[in-house]
Order: sequence, then C-alpha cells, then structure tokens
Amino acid sequence: MRTILSMFAKSPFKPLVSHINKVNECVNQIKPLFDAFLSSDYEKVESIAKQISKVEYKADKIKDDIRQHLPQSIFLPVDKRDFMHLLSAQDDIADAVEDLAVLMRIKNINIPDALSQPLMELVDYVVTLANDACGMIRELDDLLEASFGGAEAEKVEKMASDLGVAEYEADKMQFLLAQKLFSLSDISAADLFLLNELIKKLGGVADQSEKIGKTLRVFISR
Amino acid sequence: MACNIGANDVANAMGTSVGSGSLTFKQAIYVAAIAEFAGAYFVGGHVSDTIRKGMLDPLIFEATPLHLAYGMIAALVAAALWLNIASYLGWPVSTTHSIVGAVVGFGVMAGGLDAINWSKVWAVVMSWIISPVMGGLVAFLLFRFLTNQVFRRRNPLLYAKRILPFMIFLVCVILSNAMFYKGLKNLSLDFTFIQAMAYSIVFGIIGFLISRPLTKRIPDVPKKDIHKQLEATENIFKYLQITTAFYIAFAHGSNDVANAVGPLAAVVSILKSGTVEMKVAMPPWILALGGGFIVLGLLVWGRRVMETIGSKITEITPSRGFCATFAAASVVLICSKMGLPVSTTHTLVGSVIGVGLARGLPTLNLGIIKEIFISWIATVPFTALLAAILFKVMVFALG
Repeated sequence: MRTILSMFAKSPFKPLVSHINKVNECVNQIKPLFDAFLSSDYEKVESIAKQISKVEYKADKIKDDIRQHLPQSIFLPVDKRDFMHLLSAQDDIADAVEDLAVLMRIKNINIPDALSQPLMELVDYVVTLANDACGMIRELDDLLEASFGGAEAEKVEKMASDLGVAEYEADKMQFLLAQKLFSLSDISAADLFLLNELIKKLGGVADQSEKIGKTLRVFISR
Repeated sequence: MACNIGANDVANAMGTSVGSGSLTFKQAIYVAAIAEFAGAYFVGGHVSDTIRKGMLDPLIFEATPLHLAYGMIAALVAAALWLNIASYLGWPVSTTHSIVGAVVGFGVMAGGLDAINWSKVWAVVMSWIISPVMGGLVAFLLFRFLTNQVFRRRNPLLYAKRILPFMIFLVCVILSNAMFYKGLKNLSLDFTFIQAMAYSIVFGIIGFLISRPLTKRIPDVPKKDIHKQLEATENIFKYLQITTAFYIAFAHGSNDVANAVGPLAAVVSILKSGTVEMKVAMPPWILALGGGFIVLGLLVWGRRVMETIGSKITEITPSRGFCATFAAASVVLICSKMGLPVSTTHTLVGSVIGVGLARGLPTLNLGIIKEIFISWIATVPFTALLAAILFKVMVFALG
C-alpha cells in the first residue's frame, strides 16, 4: 500500500535550482577572470579557469541527473519540453563561461587601452544580467506555490521583461565594442580574432540569460 | 487484518500532513488513532451491511448456516493473506477490494453463480472506478477555486484569512453531517436527513464563529513581500489540513473497519442464533473491536510506515494536502453513506492527481495509475480463488 508514497516523484525543480546555483558560481567568476586577463596575470587566469571547469563539471552532473530522472510517466505542471529548454539555457550559460576561460588560455594578448574600459563595462553589464536570470530560477518555488499566477507571476513577468531590455542593451554595447575593435590599426589578426570571440561569448551569456526569462514567461502563460 | 489496515492505510491518510510539516509523527498518530476509532465506531455500521449481505443471497445458507460462518472466516483469512503478500511485494492493493473479492469467491463456491447478487457486485466495482475519478474531479475544482480565490490574488494572505472561516464551516458541516445522519445509531441517536443537516449547520456556524476571531489575530505581512505572503498563507492552510487529516482518518475508519469486521459480525450472529438472519444489527462491540485493532496496528507499525512516507513527501504543501485529503474524504464518506465500499487509498490517489492536473504539484508520478489497474485486475480473482479454496477445505474438514 505504498500507493500515495510512490506518487510523489522527486521534484525536478529543486535540482534545477541547485543547477542554477552552480551556473551562478561560474557567472561570478567572469569578472575576476577578465580582471586577471586585462592585468596580464596569466597564472590567475589559469587558476580561475580551473575553478570554473570544476564547477561547470558539477553543473553538468546535476543536469544529467535531472535528464535521467524525468521519465515519460512523470507529470509536470509545465510542458516537459519547455522545462528541458530551460535546463539547456542554464547549462549553456555555464558552457559559455567555460569557453571564455578557454579562449583566454589560448594565447597571451595585451589588450589595447582603448578597449579595456568598454570591455569591462560590457563584462559588468552581462554579469549583472546573468545574475538576474539566475535569481529568476530561485523564484520558481514561489511561482509553483502561487500556481503560476497572481502577484508572484507578475513579479516574474516584470523580471523577464527587464531581462529582455537588458539583453537588447547588451547587444548594442557588444556591437559598439566590435566596431571599436575592428577600427584598431595596430592589432595582430590573431589578437583581433580572439578578442572578437571573447566579445561574442559574452553576448552568448546574455542571450542564454534572456532565454531563461522567456521560458519562465511560457510557464506562466500556459 | 485490522492491524494491517491501521498501519498502512492510515499512513496514507496522515502522510501528507506529516510530509508538509503540519503535524509531527506523534501528533499524527494520536490524531489518527482518535479519528479512526471514532469513524469505525460511529459510522462503521453501514458499509458492513453491504459486505455482509448485500452481495450474497443469505437464503443459500438457510439450511447450513455454519457454512456462512466458515465462508466469512475463509474470506477474512484470504483477504488478510493477500494483503500481507501484497505489502511484502510493495503492490498498492486495496483492503476493500480484497475482501469483496473474497466474499464473492466463497459465495460462488458455496451456492454457485446464483448465490451472488451480481447487480450489487457491479455497483461496488463501478464505485471503485468512480471514486478515484470523483476524488480527482472534486480536488481539481477545489484547488482551482483556491488558486483563483487566494493564490492568484495580489494579497493572498488577506484572502486566505477571509476564506478560512467559510472553509471551516464547510468542513464542519460535512463532517458532522456524516456523523449525525444515520451515523449515531450506536449511541441510540437516529436523525433524519433534515435533522442531521440542521445540526451540522449549527456545528458549522460554531466552527465559523470560533475561527473568525482567531484568523483575525494572524499578523499581516506587507503586500510587497510575496514570498512571506505565500508562506503565511500556507501556515493558515496547516490548520485546515489537520482538520481534514482527522476527517479522512475518520472517513477511513468508517469505511475500512467494515472490511475487517463485517464478515466477523456475520460469524458472530450465526454462532449466536444458529440461523441466518436477513437483518443483523452490527453489534457496537464488534465495531469497537475493529476500531481498537486499527489503533493498535497504527501504534505498532504506523510510525515506521509514516516515517518512510514523511521523508518522501516533501513536495506537498498544506494547501495542496488540504485539497487532496478533503476531496478524498468527502467522496469516501458519500460512498460509505451509500453503502458502497470504496478504497480510501485509491480515492486519495485520484484526488492527488486532480490537484496535480490543476498545476498544484511540482511533479507527479503517473506510473501509479498502471499499478492501480493491476491491483484491480489481480486482487479480486486472487482473493476470490483463495477464499473459495479455504471455504471448501473448511467445509470438508469441519462438515
């Protein structure tokens, strides 16, 4: 007579929050990573990169665990595909951060002075944005409690639309930075390529963060 | 048998309360013990009638009344055996279904297919399907109502406070009506439906009047802090959940004690009078005995079972638990009133699914539906066959 007992499968929303916490740890390393990179402290870049890949690995483990424990017979209050999209968006953020660290370890480059300030501005902006996205996942518990409605849903909707605006701003900053980068005359092709890749990856973090907001909106509107 | 019921089914009834943190293990066991006994003693009589004579034609046993006693004992043993096997294997079988299968089994063996009142059996089987569906529907609607009235408001706590006295009123009316309407025969109080309704409304109003000033004293939380608002709202539902946990244990006692002692009552009556009577009053001491054993089982095994449940059901919050248990208990009580022995467990499964479909639960394992089907298909034939064999053996051995 374990009927009632066996009905309550483990909620996949809890590990989803654990996953985002790991992702957030990665995001929090972006700024120290760029600081070390800009001040040409390559040992520090190396150690932060190691730290990031360690955390990213843990996040991957949680992700695999969630995927494995989501069999067909499990019923969720949200579309299972949307849930999976959310999980991949979260995971893509961690991956993008790891890629940033990898790019920085390929070659030691001196950042032209004209770039360092706008680059750090973009970094700060993207980190704040990604942090906000992580914070939205922590609202999931309350969102479930409110059955995806009411004041809590409005709060999440607001966060999602703010995130959308912020992502648009980040895009603009990314574009201006790219313009600056390509207008430099005394930069080697390799450096230019690497820096461009870094900027693109930062944009990727912002894109995936926005996706979190979008998916949560789908949860609410269903 | 009653011990087994006590340990297992009660855990299902109280498990959600323990899981959501509304009650501690000890409190849950006390509440369950009181409620089960009260339910068994006060309301238990009706369903017993159905099991005992509704499905069988007692005239078959006119000539050999002892055979009916043998048969009932065979049915009890067969059902108890099957329950223990199923518990061991971890299958979610229903006590109710086991005993019904067993009674039908020995009935066919004793008097052929004509001995069974098939239309009655069909009604019982239909009720097994209808009860989870009804439980699900009621729970779905109740939860939808609560989300719209409370959780989707800008100020959920305020609305929860407003709605609480009315919910208490509803719970009191249904619970006391279940007790009053034909329920208190054992205390020589037999009300008509209108009388019972009048008394229950009085009880409901008393509950309303007591709870209203109490809810007013619950401190407010600033509207801005949605998290705290939701937390405080769930705290309010804790009280409702405890009330309904009592209620479902009561409903469970009223329904399932019959499974255990119904056949026993028949045995006693036959041994006493030596004849098969058409209408045998269920002696209160038998109901008390059944209730007592349920409590004993609960005290001995309940803690272990409930600990397992409590540690697993962490996902259910008081408001969801309230919806599921209240819906299930109402359906079970209505069915018991109609004399239909339904499974508390299965009804509760239906109502939990209902809450889940209304987007109330973070996750739900629907694989359980398959297990219930298996339980439906396997239990009845098995207990029927076993009871038939046991009956034959007893007749052969004892004459």
